[in-house]
Amino acid sequence: MESVWQIEKINLKHHIPLHLLVCILLLGISPLLMGVANLSAEDTAKVLERYVALLGIILIIPVFLPEQDKNLRDLVYAKYRSASSVYLIRLLGNGCLLALFLGGYLWMLRRGNCTFPTAAYFLGTYAEMLFLGSIGLCCYGLFDHLVAGYMASMVYYITALGSGPKYLKMFYPFSMSMGSYTEKFWLAAAAIALTGIGIFFRCRRK
Amino acid sequence: MFGQLLIKECKQTFKSLIYWLIVLVLLFDFATQLGGDTEIRKEPQKGESGYGYRSSDDPTLIMKATLGSLVEQFAYDRFVTYPIGFYKHVTLNGKEEKQIEEILQKTTGLSGRAEAEQAVSDWYEAQNTAPGPDGAIMPAKSMEIAPAPDLTYDRFSAYMDEVDSILGGGSSYAKDAREHSASVPMTYEEAMEEYRELTEQDRLTGGYARLFSDYMGIFLGVLPVFLAVTRALRDKRAGMQDLIYTRKGSSFAIIASRYTAMLVMLVLPLLALSLLPLSDCLRYASSAGISADPFAYVKYIFGWLLPTIMTAAAVGMFLTELTDTALAILIQGAWWFVSVFTGALHGGAYGWNLIPRHNTVMNWSGYHDHFSQLAANRILYVFLSVILVVLTVLIYQQKRKGRYRLSWNLSGRLKK
Repeated sequence: MESVWQIEKINLKHHIPLHLLVCILLLGISPLLMGVANLSAEDTAKVLERYVALLGIILIIPVFLPEQDKNLRDLVYAKYRSASSVYLIRLLGNGCLLALFLGGYLWMLRRGNCTFPTAAYFLGTYAEMLFLGSIGLCCYGLFDHLVAGYMASMVYYITALGSGPKYLKMFYPFSMSMGSYTEKFWLAAAAIALTGIGIFFRCRRK
Repeated sequence: MFGQLLIKECKQTFKSLIYWLIVLVLLFDFATQLGGDTEIRKEPQKGESGYGYRSSDDPTLIMKATLGSLVEQFAYDRFVTYPIGFYKHVTLNGKEEKQIEEILQKTTGLSGRAEAEQAVSDWYEAQNTAPGPDGAIMPAKSMEIAPAPDLTYDRFSAYMDEVDSILGGGSSYAKDAREHSASVPMTYEEAMEEYRELTEQDRLTGGYARLFSDYMGIFLGVLPVFLAVTRALRDKRAGMQDLIYTRKGSSFAIIASRYTAMLVMLVLPLLALSLLPLSDCLRYASSAGISADPFAYVKYIFGWLLPTIMTAAAVGMFLTELTDTALAILIQGAWWFVSVFTGALHGGAYGWNLIPRHNTVMNWSGYHDHFSQLAANRILYVFLSVILVVLTVLIYQQKRKGRYRLSWNLSGRLKK
């Protein structure tokens, strides 16, 4: 347990402070860019799905980043603790941070007199955050390329904005603002699968 | 030296995974987004059930529609703006509310919230009970209200600018928004006039090349940054940075050749993709006796899309050279986000947006009337890109001399 906390402590201290800063900045400037008070359920869903969910891309993709350097990777992979467990601990830590950010944002929306089903919106947005991040994580693991990871997630997001549910069907990430939650289950399942694939390929790469 | 480096860089880009992913995305964008819109418009025929709608530039109609919206929002104290395309509810303080009330009184003659509420209620009551042409009750039309008799259009414009400023911008009272507030059904003659503009002024291919640029521009506002970041980090990733620093070539030649190679390699797939809609247009034009412009797509790719590509690539190169991180992706991503959500969709209001939109093959007059605005926009981004590239050269030069190395403790692990 102590080593788990040690891995997470190093992650928080050295690997993701800049990413956390970007997340805080993004959430902090949102009241200047869009309404965060007196929103209907539909408008609240738009803000969460199209804006807040982007935090998933920022916090999930860099899970592999510390071992980007091949020499460092060789060293880490030679250690007793398996690389996949290190990745999972980081993923869990970043996932908790995402939940904290999302929870805090929903609390702010509630205080701003927005009307929406809190639990459903939390879980729906969280599933989308994990899905957007896991697309990038999977591509990062597959191609060993950070930029390919960011690119995959962002292209998916832009495609969803541009084409609507026409092509993405069950994997359309903005379904909550249309009143549908079914897609969120698919997104959550896909997030688990993509993360697994990403970690698998990453660990195979020597 | 520059020519040799350029060819080398083009070959490097050709072998890059990210480059081919970008080409794939462009292909996907072309096939899914543009695919359905490339069917050539046929000449309108007399007796069709409708010819669509057009924005009216009739000052009275604009004033009626804009003031109707203002009365409604004031009556329910529900002021709405869309600063970056997202809904924003604006709550006014007492002083601001008083200012809006005074403006409303001067523009419509209504004084106070009670009179505004009554006007709204009267309008919707009349709308809901008014039978349509076939006797059926028509759905309610957006509220309109007659302007005060002595209100000139100039005074109206000044008052609406003030309202927009009180609301913090991005409202439907801003100049661009209010000028498109009134729409009227098109007559056969107007539809024919618009078709003639497409076939004669735009020479058919112009309208389709604009639509092509509109769709491709959405992705090109962000894709080049991925290529630029990859290229700028490649030497570091391969551990070759120090070796390249000691080479003979000037910093300008190295950076300029990288940048130019990126632009060349990004424009090539666009030129190739444009051949498909161009051939459709030319085929139709020859059968319909239209004198099409075969170079329209080339002109739009270089005039409309290239400045966007240049900017996104320059931001990528500059920030990556400055920080040695992938930070440029997040910055350009944020810029893309704001640009896409704030643009006017159907052209004629290009402003200073990085991604100017014109999501229709029609509206040649909107394009023509605002051409100088669009040209200024594109020139600005070309200048900005050149400045960023020059700054990149300076940073690169300092790095080669060992004078610059950003101590980036926070992002230590963002490197590579």
